[in-house]
Amino acid sequence: MTSVSPTISAYGDHAVLVNWDTDGFSPAVNDIIHELAVQLRESAAYIEVVPAYDSLVCVFDLAARSFADTKLHIENIFARHSFGTSATGQIIDIPVHYGGENGPDMETICTASKLSIDAVIAQHSQREYRVCMMGFIPGFTFLSPAPEALHHPRLATPRAKVPAGSIGIANWQTGIYGLESPGGWQIIGRTPLSIFDGNRDTPFLLNAGDRVRFIPQ
Amino acid sequence: MTLTILQSGAQTLIMDAGRSGHRHQGIPGGGAADKLSFAIANHLVGNKWDTPALECALGGLHIRFNKDCVIALSGAQMWSQNQGLNLPMNKAVPVGAGDILTMSFTRAGCRAYLAVAGGIKAAPFMESVSTYLPAKLGGLNGEALKTGDVLEIGEVKGDIRSLPNGHIPTLSNHVVLRAAKGPEWEHLSNASKRYLFTTPFYATSATDRMGSRLKGDQVTLKQPLKMTSSPLLPGSLQIPPDGQPILALADGHCTGGYARALQVIQADLWLLGQIAPGAAISFRRSLSQEAEVILRGKNSYYADLIPGFSF
Repeated sequence: MTSVSPTISAYGDHAVLVNWDTDGFSPAVNDIIHELAVQLRESAAYIEVVPAYDSLVCVFDLAARSFADTKLHIENIFARHSFGTSATGQIIDIPVHYGGENGPDMETICTASKLSIDAVIAQHSQREYRVCMMGFIPGFTFLSPAPEALHHPRLATPRAKVPAGSIGIANWQTGIYGLESPGGWQIIGRTPLSIFDGNRDTPFLLNAGDRVRFIPQ
Repeated sequence: MTLTILQSGAQTLIMDAGRSGHRHQGIPGGGAADKLSFAIANHLVGNKWDTPALECALGGLHIRFNKDCVIALSGAQMWSQNQGLNLPMNKAVPVGAGDILTMSFTRAGCRAYLAVAGGIKAAPFMESVSTYLPAKLGGLNGEALKTGDVLEIGEVKGDIRSLPNGHIPTLSNHVVLRAAKGPEWEHLSNASKRYLFTTPFYATSATDRMGSRLKGDQVTLKQPLKMTSSPLLPGSLQIPPDGQPILALADGHCTGGYARALQVIQADLWLLGQIAPGAAISFRRSLSQEAEVILRGKNSYYADLIPGFSF
């Protein structure tokens, strides 16, 4: 558990931002955020509950409740709920084809990290990641930090098209493109799994709070 | 019972009230960008307010009706004709089989809503037929309508209605949005805090359902802000490093990494759908208690007229 307590502030007139002032990524804080999200969503009192790395936004109908109601609700959850007791999310194995045409930026990462391709693959696939948030487009999966040796800035000029399933690095973040889209992350591999498929019964393979392991193919 | 798209105009999409509750999965609520005009069009033809209808951005839509039906147009102002005769807006009008409706380009506002008694039929995704172009969801195969598309019309369930004078919003190419402080408001420079509410901005051609890049006086921060990506909402005004604000709209990204300076109040979110490229945008400061009073006032103004509708 962490002693960092969040600030609860108004985000305009119809939303609340719960923000943790963490120095870098904190797994403990992220755990709390996902548990808080589950609690808030179960109350069915909100239009949207959106967890992120170190913050959570809760959208309400201003005609039905106020900022004060919502702040009190969140404070009560912190007072009554014992965090760290309920398991959040599933563990999902993601097969990955690293390098080559699946990972056009593998060489960039190898050069910058002074590691061989095999060493980059070993580093990237050795740890279990958590799904910190989903996002900017459907199925884009933001994961917890990559090993430090692999950190690398985004491309100076984003690609017009990054294939669905591409796995990339942007600074300390690593993530999976759920859909083909423009993008500036350094792509090191691709999974054949379909992260988002609107025609499937469960369109999303992953949800915020899940854990992910990359299995090199 | 069908209608045929002869010309789709700048962009015509099938819309309903949207799919809220999925932003944590990266799916924006979307739906009719101007919920009020959409609800009015549906109400007039006797539909429930959230029945699927056509959202036509910037006009230019031409349609042929393949059977007698009742339609209503609301939202952006334009000249529309049916069989060459001028068609009134905000009024339920019968059209005959084979009739051709044409819309001019818009002269005020951005999006017109065409409701048909019985509603447009489409396959829902996550309980909504609203088209979301970036992920090709909803609508007709997830795409904007095009020439030759044939749309099915549902079963008529209600009688036509009218709205009293004063309930039809007057749209203009100067959109005034009331806004409250966003989470990063305090990071703005003092000068920017003042002129965000005094100088107008202009919507550039980079304006669509996702957002509008504005042009105007440069908005500056006290110092560069290093932000971890955090949730973003429709109506949030973001300030990127170049100082030209971006206003997130109905299909806006669910997360963002720029300072969120302002948030348009809930009562004014419907107006975001009427921002056309080139429109002037002014922000007016709204205090939180005031926002609630405005919202309650507007909700009660329409509550008795349009069952189930709220801002």
